[in-house]
Formats: sequence, C-alpha cells, structure tokens
Amino acid sequence: MDALNFFANVDWAEIWLATIDTMIMLFGSLFFTVLLGLPLGVLLFLCGPRQMFEQKGVYALLSLVVNILRSLPFIILLIVMIPITVLITGTSLGVAGAIPPLVVGATPFFARLVETALREVDRGIIEATQSMGATTRQIITNALLPEARPGIFAAITVTAITLVSYTAMAGVVGAGGLGDLAIRFGYQRFQTDVMIVTVVLLLILVQVLQSVGDKLVVHFSRK
Amino acid sequence: MKKLLAVVAAAAAFSANADTLTVAATPVPHAEILEFVKPQLAKEGVDLKVKVFTDYIQPNVQVAEKRLDANFFQHQPYLDEFNKAKGTNLVSVAGVHLEPLGAYSSKLKKLDELSSGATVVIPNDATNGGRALLLLDKAGVISLKDKTNILSTVKDITGNSKNLKFRELEAATIPRVLTQVDLALINTNYALEAKLNPEKDALVIEGSDSPYVNILVARPDNKESDDMKKLAAALHSPEVKAFITEKYKGAVIPAF
Repeated sequence: MDALNFFANVDWAEIWLATIDTMIMLFGSLFFTVLLGLPLGVLLFLCGPRQMFEQKGVYALLSLVVNILRSLPFIILLIVMIPITVLITGTSLGVAGAIPPLVVGATPFFARLVETALREVDRGIIEATQSMGATTRQIITNALLPEARPGIFAAITVTAITLVSYTAMAGVVGAGGLGDLAIRFGYQRFQTDVMIVTVVLLLILVQVLQSVGDKLVVHFSRK
Repeated sequence: MKKLLAVVAAAAAFSANADTLTVAATPVPHAEILEFVKPQLAKEGVDLKVKVFTDYIQPNVQVAEKRLDANFFQHQPYLDEFNKAKGTNLVSVAGVHLEPLGAYSSKLKKLDELSSGATVVIPNDATNGGRALLLLDKAGVISLKDKTNILSTVKDITGNSKNLKFRELEAATIPRVLTQVDLALINTNYALEAKLNPEKDALVIEGSDSPYVNILVARPDNKESDDMKKLAAALHSPEVKAFITEKYKGAVIPAF
C-alpha cells in the first residue's frame, strides 16, 4: 500500500518527543513572557505621550531597548545569549537552554501589544476612576487592566503563535521540537513525509491556540 | 517597455560573454582559497565572483538551477546524497583539500578520560552526524551497527560502554557550547573560525585516508568549459598548495 510506505521515514516516537518539547518550550516561555511583558507594557503605556505619567526620557529609553531586542534575528539572540542563558538555567542546551532566549525575544513584542491594548481603553473610564479619587495602583488594577482584558488576551494569543515559530529555531541549540524536525529531516534530508507530519501538527497547535484565544477574548468582552 | 527589455537583454548577454564565473563557497577555508586564485584567474581573463554561503543546501540548489556556475564547500559523499535526494546530477570538477573532522574538549586532554554519562555533541545534519559517529567508532569510543554507513545516526550505536549522552546541534553552534559539554565533534572550517587549532587542540582527528576531500562542483553542461578548466587548474597549482599549507598549518590539507 503506497500510503503506508509514504510515511516510512516518520518515527512516531520521535514526533511525540518533539511535540512534548515544543509544548514545554511554548508554555514555559509564554508564562514568563506574560509575567515580564505585562508590567513592561503597562510601564510603556503610562510613560507614553499624553498619558498619566508622560516621561519623554523614560519612554524613549524603554522604547529603544524594546526596539533593539525586537530587531535582533532570533537565531542571533539564541547564540548571543548563551552566556546569560547558562547563568540562568545552568545550560544553553536543550529545552531549558531555549526558554530564556524565547522569553527575551517575545517579551518586547508582547509588551508593545499590551501597550497598544491599553491605549485602546476608553479614556472616559480612566478619568472617571481618577475623579473618584483612586490611587494609581487602583486605576491600573481596577479600571485599566480589566477594561483592556480582551486586548490583552488577543495579545497573548498572537504572542503564543509567534512563539511557536520561534521554537523552530531552537533546534540550533539542540532543544528539539517539531520545527527542528521539519528543518533537519524535512528540509536537510528531503524527507517530505516528516515535513508534512510536523507541519500538520504545528497547524493543529496554532489552530487550537487561536480558537482558545478567540473564545477568551469574546468571554471578556462584555459589550 | 520593449526598449527597456531589449536593453536589459543586451546587458545580460554582454555580461554572460565577459567571462564571469560565479562560485558559491563557505567562508573558511573555501572562500579564502577562491579569493587567493582570483588575481591569477583575472590575468587569464576570468572574472571570478565568490558568493559566500553558510548553508549546505542552497549552494547546490542554485548551481542546479543555473543561477550560479559552480560551488565549493562539500565532499563527494555529501554530493552523492544530495543528488540522490534531490534528483540533480551535479558533478565534481576537481578535488582540492581535506578538512579533517576533529573531537575537541575544553575539559579533557585525552579520549579515555571520558567519564560515564558524559555529554558528547555532534552535528545534527545527516552527513556530518554520520561522519562524527564514524570517527568515534574508529577511535573505539562507541560501536556502530554498520561501520561503513556514512549516514549513521545515534540510533545506530550498538556499543556505548561509557553511557555517553549524545546531543545533536547545528554544526556552526557547536564551538560555542564547548565549555558546557565533555566532547564536541567540530568540522574544521567551524573550528578554524572559532580559533581552535585542529592540529594541537583535537583529541582525535580524521586521517588523510578520509573520503571527504572537498570538491569544486558544477553541472554536466558547464564542467568542461574553458573558464571552469582554468579555475580547476588554478586550484591545483603549487601556489595554492603552498597557500593552504602555510595558512592553515595542517588543519586543512591539500588533496592534490
């Protein structure tokens, strides 16, 4: 049967391991990206032009750092960060070695999306909260963030899917993953069956992420 | 529009006639060797253009698609695999040099110092991964199922008495993780770029009996062209032999 022979190169055990690797890299880095990127995004927003704490100098500096990190091709970031990654996780190899660069690569991107989401919040709500005598912290946690929830969940969704494509580069540091299999066996060794299987799995992953993300956005948009 | 097309066509035809040879090469030592013969070829009327690549697929793809004239970065076993997998018929024009693959360590001075459970890093591409494993097999560190299979993978290891842990990384990254692993198998071109000295630093290194001589590769339709013959002759000159021996101090060996 030709159909059975077509998948001759596919080692399902390897595919399973690669899927686990991709999941760990994805959710591990997503967790820290949101943890670090949310405050960074809020800071960018607050210091921004015509915002509550408009500070041109601080904003310019933050913006510059964010822009520089976003300009680096991810594969360069992976390699340049090797000494730092070793400091954080003890190794630059494998899944553990891929997560710090993934976080550093995705956090500035996520922070920018958060900043945009916060800018979309109706200023009327912020002003109303301010006029009620709320402290800055209260404005942020009780008015700003809740109102920006749909935008923030959309930002998380976009970032998660971006991270999936970043994890493909992780094979360079031996972290495995589905993207790595696609490159090494699909591209370098011309094993089309492996390429198809890994791409289909990645497709399913992205579809699921997008669907879950969309449902969360709708859930939190109580309009 | 027609006039513009005519001018462009004329310009293309003109540049095709002005003996230009575009060759793809990896940076060290291939591009350097080509740059060395460039002045000699210019005197013979050939304008050699060197295009540097760091990937091992594109140089072959672009020569096969006639976008480049030749390439210089691979050895015969790799070319055979590529032709088989991609259905191309690229051919070797001339063998130039050999870059022995070596095993390096920042922690050990001798192979038998490898402790149980030590980490060994090998290139993750088909040919170099197999080549690395063959070297380790020859050095007695592991045993392979088929000692002649140049495409051996980690799954073909039948004897691993020291329970070595193998990790596969992209060949170019391996020098950068030298301090994190016990043994690293590094291609000489990357070792040279990382300022390692294959002669002094390698714990074990391939001998000159290796089938991995690096070759100048072209297509059947242009391998006999005058320009190609001039390039092949220039690459086999005593000046190039001296250049290779002096510059790479035994890390790269002339194969002619």
